[in-house]
Amino acid sequence: MTPRPFRDVGRYFGRPGRSLTRRLVWLASAWIVLALLLTGAVLTSQFQESGLRRLGGVLNTTIDNLIVATTATENTVVTPQILDQRTLNEFSGKYWVVGEPRDDGSLRVLTRSTSLWDADMPAPDSLIERLEAGFGDSISYNAVGPVGEPLRIAATMKRLPGRSTPVVFIAAIDRSNIDADTRQFAAFTWAALGLLGAGLVLAVFIQVRIGLRPLYDLRTEIADVRKGRATRIERAYPIEIAPLAEQMNKLLAHNQETVERQRTHVGNLAHALKNPLSVLLAEAGERSDPLSDVVRRQSEAMRSQVEHHLRRARAAARAGISGERTPVGEVIDEMAVMLERVFQSKGVEIDWRAPDELAFRGERQDLQELLGNLMENACKWSKGRVRVSAGATGLGQMVVVVEDDGPGLPEDQREAALARGARMDEATPGTGLGLSIVEELTRAYQGRFSLAASEMGGLKAVLELPSAEL
Amino acid sequence: MRVLLVEDDADLSRQLKTALADAGYAVDHAPDGEEAHFLGDTEPYDVIVLDLGLPKVDGVSVLERWRREGKTTPVLILTARGAWSDKVSGFDAGADDYLTKPFHTEELLARLRALLRRSAGHATATLECGGLRLDPRAARASVNGEPLRLTSLEYRLLHYLMMHQGRVISRTELVEHLYDQDFDRDSNTIEVFVGRVRKKIGAERIETVRGLGYRLTALPGETAPA
Repeated sequence: MTPRPFRDVGRYFGRPGRSLTRRLVWLASAWIVLALLLTGAVLTSQFQESGLRRLGGVLNTTIDNLIVATTATENTVVTPQILDQRTLNEFSGKYWVVGEPRDDGSLRVLTRSTSLWDADMPAPDSLIERLEAGFGDSISYNAVGPVGEPLRIAATMKRLPGRSTPVVFIAAIDRSNIDADTRQFAAFTWAALGLLGAGLVLAVFIQVRIGLRPLYDLRTEIADVRKGRATRIERAYPIEIAPLAEQMNKLLAHNQETVERQRTHVGNLAHALKNPLSVLLAEAGERSDPLSDVVRRQSEAMRSQVEHHLRRARAAARAGISGERTPVGEVIDEMAVMLERVFQSKGVEIDWRAPDELAFRGERQDLQELLGNLMENACKWSKGRVRVSAGATGLGQMVVVVEDDGPGLPEDQREAALARGARMDEATPGTGLGLSIVEELTRAYQGRFSLAASEMGGLKAVLELPSAEL
Repeated sequence: MRVLLVEDDADLSRQLKTALADAGYAVDHAPDGEEAHFLGDTEPYDVIVLDLGLPKVDGVSVLERWRREGKTTPVLILTARGAWSDKVSGFDAGADDYLTKPFHTEELLARLRALLRRSAGHATATLECGGLRLDPRAARASVNGEPLRLTSLEYRLLHYLMMHQGRVISRTELVEHLYDQDFDRDSNTIEVFVGRVRKKIGAERIETVRGLGYRLTALPGETAPA
């Protein structure tokens, strides 16, 4: 796999690439956590620093007192126990040592505080070296005391009047209070910062959700268009995504227009071809010589072919997005009115039932084509009764049943009629049933078309189509 | 019998003219919508063959104009597109039958004979009820001049109500007059059809008299029928 760092980081952070909300929240959270961690670290270290500085002050005072109290000659250094109760009490946590550097760089203790008893003042090996390097400066360090207490220690090296070799003063104090304070402060700080961080992340999340709401709205609207509940995007959107909505609408309009144009082209072509064919058919029909027979037969074949392929082209032009909803009852009604009039001499009556709110998710012309063909067939074959019933079957589907009381089709012929429609490329046009166009259109709408025997005695055509609500 | 042939294609017109003349019709020919409208308006034709795709004024508009002016001459429309939407708009405009091009001349002649037979039958006077008009000869109804689209059952229902306007007609009476013997006589059916007719003519024109039946009345403000 080729390394794609951003993708990998994305994956690590719960795939933010999949969701804008998550991406925004993750980025903001990462930044907030980083900033708060830094703040917490600085705050606690500052707090500890200031505690240690306070201890440093106490230690320096002790050292100053020791320097003042110490009298030195070339041979002796005398330091009395200074007046500080804590340096007198055994292992009180406050200690001092006065000493001098040996030639090998170690410390020789001359006097120690009573509190220290005869324990050693903990000191790093390099202490004398460091003191000599920064002569007169104070060095601070942490160490563990004689009874295991944490100590803060300050040391300095001084040259006293009356003595040529320098004297080392070391003072120590228990820092467990400071440590405890620091810990408490840290705990408090981290808790407060954690709370703040959680609050901020929540705020970011809410902000993002609210900020992105128009996108969710847009998504819902687009879904509505797809489901056929709307034909275009209607709501006003913020300027950042308004162009997107606008483009979407243009695309929808363009789609509609393309379908429309295709249909017009197809219609024009049909018109252009049909008149000459009519002429040929009629002209040849009037004579009975062999040439006329050929012309008539071939014209007839051409007519069926033109019919068939134009209808296929029309059916194929449908595939695109269509936001249209067509009231089913209305189309059945107009077909019934028309066909009853056309078949008036036969006395055909069409009894139809469809719920008022039932709508076909697709174009009116297509439903007209489907019902027109099926109902015309039914009227053609019926002995006077045609029944059409439509209803929703749930989950965005509906069913339309067209039945007649005519002779019907035996089962093997029904199958043959359907199979012809199914094998579109080899379909023989002009079967007189118009079933291939029904089959093709139904397929274009991802519906189902089947034939059965009707209780009324004739053929029962069943259409399953996508529905929408009005 | 006089027939008006409206068709713009010269070859097809010539053929149809010959065929119609051979079948015994007196044929007038109009090659465009304007002339067709003029001829249809001025001459008393028995039947009209109207192509929908015409120059100048299209067939549907011509037909609409005739129907608006009260012409009831049966009209057979010729469509080249074969699309059902074209046929529907033709019927909405007032056509009586359609033929899809290309067709056999014999088919056209048969259809014309059927249309003539139909219109020659029971010539009854036009029924009126307020803005509602029903012409039994053409089997057409209209509301305030707008043609109504009725199925044959709805038409029969309206016809019956109009013949007995102002009188309360029970559901049973309607069932008996509208359906033949073997029809599925479910009592809800009448309500469904009355509902549909109401939707088409305006709900308030058919009054429900509780427990008794229905009554057709003119709307208040409309002139009561004589």
